[in-house]
Amino acid sequence: MSELQNRPPTSPAPGLQPAFVDLGSQANQEPPAAGGGALDLYGRPSWGRRAANAVGWGACVLAVVLIGAPLFWVVYGVVARAVPHWHWSVITTPTSAVGGGLANEIVGTLLITAGVVVLAGTVGICSGVYLSEYAKGRTGALLRSGSEVLAGVPSIVLGYVGYIALVIGAHWQFSLAAALVTLSVLTVPYIAKTTESALRQVPTSYREGAEALGMSQVRTMTRITLKAAVPGVTTGLLIAIAISVGETAPLLYTAGFSDSMPSLSLTHSPVGYLTYAVWTFYNQPSVTFQQLSYDAALVLVVLVAALVCLSRAIVARSQRYAERA
Amino acid sequence: MALAARHPLEAEPPRGWAAWLPAAVRRAARDGSWARYLTGAAALLPVLALAAVLAVLAAKAWPAMKVNGTGFLGRSTWQPGSTYAAAVRTDGVLHPAGSEYGALALIVGTLASSGLAVVFAVPLSVGAALAVVEKLPRRASYVVGMFLELLAGIPSVVFGLWGITSFGPALARDVYPVVAKHMPDIAVLRFLRGDTGYGEGLLTAGLVLAVMIVPIVAATTRDLLRQVPALAKEGAAALGMNDWEIACKVSVPWVRSGIIGAAVLGLARALGETMAVAMVSGSLLGTMPLNLYAKMGTVASTIVQQLDGAFSDGTGFEVRTLAELALVLAVITLLTNVAARLLVRKVSTVALPVGRGV
Amino acid sequence: MLTAAAAAAALTLGTAGLTGASTALAAPRPAHAKAGATKSNEIPPKAKVNLSETGSTLLYPLFQLWAAAYHKHYPNITITPQGTGSGTGISDASSGTVNIGASDAYLSPTVFAQYPGIENIALAISAQMINYNVKGVPASVHLKLDGGVLAGIYEGHITNWDAPQVRALNPGVKLPNEKIVALHRSDSSGDTFLFSSYLSDTNPSGWGKTIGYGTSISFPAIPNALAEEGNGGMVTGCAATPGCIAYIGISYLAKTEAAHLGEAMLQNRDGFFHLPNAATITAEAAAAYSQTPPDEALSLVDDTAKAGYPIINYEYAIIPPKQPNGTDAKAVKAFLYWAIDPTGGSSPAFLDAVNFQPLPASIAQLSAAQIAKIKG
Repeated sequence: MSELQNRPPTSPAPGLQPAFVDLGSQANQEPPAAGGGALDLYGRPSWGRRAANAVGWGACVLAVVLIGAPLFWVVYGVVARAVPHWHWSVITTPTSAVGGGLANEIVGTLLITAGVVVLAGTVGICSGVYLSEYAKGRTGALLRSGSEVLAGVPSIVLGYVGYIALVIGAHWQFSLAAALVTLSVLTVPYIAKTTESALRQVPTSYREGAEALGMSQVRTMTRITLKAAVPGVTTGLLIAIAISVGETAPLLYTAGFSDSMPSLSLTHSPVGYLTYAVWTFYNQPSVTFQQLSYDAALVLVVLVAALVCLSRAIVARSQRYAERA
Repeated sequence: MALAARHPLEAEPPRGWAAWLPAAVRRAARDGSWARYLTGAAALLPVLALAAVLAVLAAKAWPAMKVNGTGFLGRSTWQPGSTYAAAVRTDGVLHPAGSEYGALALIVGTLASSGLAVVFAVPLSVGAALAVVEKLPRRASYVVGMFLELLAGIPSVVFGLWGITSFGPALARDVYPVVAKHMPDIAVLRFLRGDTGYGEGLLTAGLVLAVMIVPIVAATTRDLLRQVPALAKEGAAALGMNDWEIACKVSVPWVRSGIIGAAVLGLARALGETMAVAMVSGSLLGTMPLNLYAKMGTVASTIVQQLDGAFSDGTGFEVRTLAELALVLAVITLLTNVAARLLVRKVSTVALPVGRGV
Repeated sequence: MLTAAAAAAALTLGTAGLTGASTALAAPRPAHAKAGATKSNEIPPKAKVNLSETGSTLLYPLFQLWAAAYHKHYPNITITPQGTGSGTGISDASSGTVNIGASDAYLSPTVFAQYPGIENIALAISAQMINYNVKGVPASVHLKLDGGVLAGIYEGHITNWDAPQVRALNPGVKLPNEKIVALHRSDSSGDTFLFSSYLSDTNPSGWGKTIGYGTSISFPAIPNALAEEGNGGMVTGCAATPGCIAYIGISYLAKTEAAHLGEAMLQNRDGFFHLPNAATITAEAAAAYSQTPPDEALSLVDDTAKAGYPIINYEYAIIPPKQPNGTDAKAVKAFLYWAIDPTGGSSPAFLDAVNFQPLPASIAQLSAAQIAKIKG
């Protein structure tokens, strides 16, 4: 006890010295080293950091250019080879054994696309409606993940299954029906997902107002909610159209190929389509067929560009007229 | 019986053809729940279709799996056997004598070309997305968005046509010989030396695939970067960081797992890609590519090119082996997609409340 | 086209050896005679019929000519030909997804067993060339090659054009020290079947034992190998690859000449070297006529004939066991009867364009018997 009391008072530990800011001495110090440090003489970022900034953003802008370059290269390559020898009879003449045009392929592509929009559109929109309006937690999650898994199956696998199960197994042969069923299985997940998200974005107040007015749920759905979700649903349908126009692998083994205009019979009648012309005609030894291959590529690029512009127009229009709840 | 069949609130008995419908159907028609059942059936269809696809594949592939065995994934051969000699039976499955199939070279080709595609596409996409979100004016981002949609919409056969007619030959003429000549002769880099071919091969396929997956990776990254809260970026700016440092040290790390998810999404797309790869890869069956520029085959391109002639093997064994390949491809892409969805979903559950309400 | 054919046939009667069935044509026909009205069994049904044909790229150029000519005369019949490879022709005909399959290879016993009622009907006799792209060898010089050297090239034992085995067969020809690039077909192909049959016949203990023959074989993985799709791909690939050697169907002779590819003389079983032309092909085929069975599944490769070219074959139409309907069956039968008719599809106007030879009367009879069995 006495020892503790007799201990001489010790100064606080060195680290606990009060910080003594000597502004005068700081002002007279050497400025921090230039370049490697954080700031320069005038408080701006050092030249190293500014250089990194310039180089970094330069590289990013270069990345944007490098993304645009292949697009221009592809379009130029197709246009430069197709346009010089273009004649409008390519669109009006069907393919024949020794050349001809692309009329039956264009009609075939349009027919297949229309069929997919009707078939997959119906199933997809109904599916999206169920998932957003009626589905409860676990069932909804299960159905949604099943749909997503289906979206991840490669198109050639679906083409194989369509060939084995529908063309050969069900004896439909190369036919419009087999092509429509296979492409619909491919596109329904996309339509369902976009419909569901479009419906979810419709404000609940719309539905509540309709219920307050005494409308039945089905009427609300068709008259109010779906109408408000039309832009989103249309985007989904445009995705489906883009897929039907551009896919080859599933159609190779379900639609077959034909030189004549597609008949409307659903089975036993193969259908020609544009991507087949690009896939097959380019390595024929005949110049006519190689030219047709480029012409088909040109028509495809034009169709895709039209689809993109259409989807942008729809989005712009819907944003103009959208209500914010 | 008649009383129980009638709804208590039915004022009068149903007339005409409605009387023939069962009571449950009449009830559903009246209170609108038919819509629930109809749309529920529609929502069930994708799941049923998935089950049907897997069932058909499994049923078709099972005999081939029995004969090809587990070595199927480890072998590189593609030997249809003596189709004109008498067929033999192994494990009760009919197949040509001497037939031997192995998918190793194809799986390696698939993973290598898709891996190359991701390696080339991800830096480009992240850089472009950064530029679009942070630096470029509104108009430019609108135009870049249109470019991405156009790239995404162009059919893969058109990319393949471009690859074999312009892109591949240009690369083989101007780029590959330069790269191959200047590669040092060390162990790993030896793969980049040697005969550079005529433009059809592994590297060309990887580059064409990269161009095709850039849209999905760039669009996903752009949407992710737009979700980085302004407060975090402004805080970094207040600390004195310049734009590039904010991008590198705040934005990108914020969405890091999302970017990885976007890359895996692109990988999944590249794994399933068929037509462009079939046109530019050289379609080699049964051997591993000897160097980076050599011809090779992928699982998808093999299926699309061999299926139409597969029934000429009268035993049907080649068709079944192709089903086995399709199953392998479906499993690989499935796992990749599941991984991608898990990674991309994570970013939307970032715990920090910063930014909400500001 | 059909009128010209009738006129040409009127002038060259006798070369095809007409049988009793076609004595109606024995008298020379005036040039303005109504073409197509020759035989009743060649007239198709009046209904609109779309037929699909797929398969051999070797038969494809001829099928293109036939489809165009037949459609011109009977506009209600449209035939869509496709050149996808003999394997696809056999495959699609077996599964019944096409009306007519085309193949350079006859059907295997397994296919006959698995798909009872399937037929391979001979339509014409064709041949296969061996082309090369070797600098310094003028077009007038045809390199001599045999089965042993070809097997050595495709197995990787012979790597350069000035190898001793090649020089031994071609004394006096200056061969450059150029690497040989061996082209083969990537798709399931009847040309592969013919080429591998020749190599198997000439190397029974080597290639014949280790690799064998078929429409789809496992070519040895040698450093200098290239795969191409279709005969068209073989032509363009060989033209673009110095030092290449390729097996190409004779219907592409005009294209190989335009691409300045050389054509080899092959050694036949009796030891003589020949180019494929009308005389050598017919000489080689003659040895096999009496041996052709009713189902016409016979290899004509490497038969014994001094003046014969060794790689020749019947071109087959593979007909599914059952056509989709009766009208299609009638249309297919009418078309095929016209195709083997020496005044119709088998006239020189068509066959000379693709360097094929017409079937002799005895074989045409076998084909007609098989055509009669087509049902729908």
